[in-house]
Amino acid sequence: MIGKGGAGKSVISGTMARVLARDGRRVLALDSDLLPGLSLSLGAGPDPAEPPLNDAAEQDENGRWRLKKGIGPVRAVKRYATDAPDGIRLLQAGKVPKDGLEPIMGSINAFYRVVHRLPDARTFDDWTVVGDLPAGPRQIAFGWAPYADTYVAVVQPSAQSALTARRVARIARSRDGARAVFVANRVTGPADVRHVEEMIGEPVLAAVPVDEAVARAELLGFAPIDHAPDSAAVLEIERLVTALADE
Amino acid sequence: MKIAVAGKGGAGKTTVSGTVARALARAGHSVLALDADANPMLGVSLGVGAEQTDLLLGVRQGLETGEVEHEPTIEGMVERFGADAPDGVRLVVASRIDGDSPGCQCCGVSPDQLLRELEDGGRTVLCDLEAGLGTILRLAPGNADVVLVVANPAAKALEVARRAVAIAADKTEVIVLANRVRDDADLETIRAAIPDRELVVIPEDATIARADRDGVAPIDLDPYSPGVKALVALADRLAGAPVPA
Repeated sequence: MIGKGGAGKSVISGTMARVLARDGRRVLALDSDLLPGLSLSLGAGPDPAEPPLNDAAEQDENGRWRLKKGIGPVRAVKRYATDAPDGIRLLQAGKVPKDGLEPIMGSINAFYRVVHRLPDARTFDDWTVVGDLPAGPRQIAFGWAPYADTYVAVVQPSAQSALTARRVARIARSRDGARAVFVANRVTGPADVRHVEEMIGEPVLAAVPVDEAVARAELLGFAPIDHAPDSAAVLEIERLVTALADE
Repeated sequence: MKIAVAGKGGAGKTTVSGTVARALARAGHSVLALDADANPMLGVSLGVGAEQTDLLLGVRQGLETGEVEHEPTIEGMVERFGADAPDGVRLVVASRIDGDSPGCQCCGVSPDQLLRELEDGGRTVLCDLEAGLGTILRLAPGNADVVLVVANPAAKALEVARRAVAIAADKTEVIVLANRVRDDADLETIRAAIPDRELVVIPEDATIARADRDGVAPIDLDPYSPGVKALVALADRLAGAPVPA
């Protein structure tokens, strides 16, 4: 999931992951944002106090980070992922503490290396991986989602959001074998959808309506699918999951 | 004076930055607007135009691609790479990520470096930071005279704002903006997350929403709408002098 900050990436990732899990898929949710993000939207509560994966990596004599012996994607998910509702496993990078990145460097480096080995880990062949990336182009360009065959660019009806989505989708498409699709979020009607499509220059795969119940869930830090399971927004995200599978 | 603007993505950093920059310039200040986001959008809220903003060259990329000759001084970079925005604001984009595998972000000119090394030289430098906490973590005392932390009433945005305040308050003066406040309940939500701090309230504003949708500067649509007025008053306070109407 990619796009501008505030476009709704976490809400859509979290809800998609839950819908996929309820459809019977095994789901691994990945949160590489160093700021609070996916956990609340998944309905898995606040982020853990201790940075996950922090002791999974070590520095060699030259200061280069590497995964500790015996740690690969399978063990990392087993040991460091946490449980989210509907049987989802959530693996996340540590969140930025007050005193800087130093205390979470192990976690960041371990996460990066684990996701890079994920595409080759056969255990996960029949899993669906949903990754929530932080705002903007940085992590896409630096290859933080090498597992992705589909990038979903979330765009709300604003010029900045559309320019961002267009840019991040272009970067994603320049990666080997990856496709990118657009999803409009918080639209108030067909005019908003047309506005978004004009700005990005192509059709969107889904258009999630603005929804007071989802806004309320975001305000409170709840998962939309728990707080407002029958809302128009959640129904459209269900439709998006089907559309992605059909593409 | 050097002002940095921080917060979660989507909290309203860029709208605040662009509008405060324009208001300061209208009050007669010489304003340098520095876009330190790798996804630079400050041009949009300054009124440069959405498509035009998308074409602005970052200082870093300008140097790397050799589109200009070697430029050794920070001032020279501002001169060469800047673009003119309305009311005489000078806009400089530090760096933009536009393709796969951009160069090492530790080398070459960085947004932090530009913010650190730019002298205010009698002008006001207003810096729109990248979403999140990265740049304020690297900020040293003296790099900015004041940090504006933008908070809107949503759980994650408040958590990011709370952390930003904690990090920045050790280094410099911090002003917290309660952005997109619809009612007392919104304000209370923000106050509960960031207690014991004065909150500058920026009310929810249809003018700002329309400007955001169309990619124009809110101050060009209506300088007297409630949200824009609150930002103009903030600029007034920052400048320490009344802003003429």
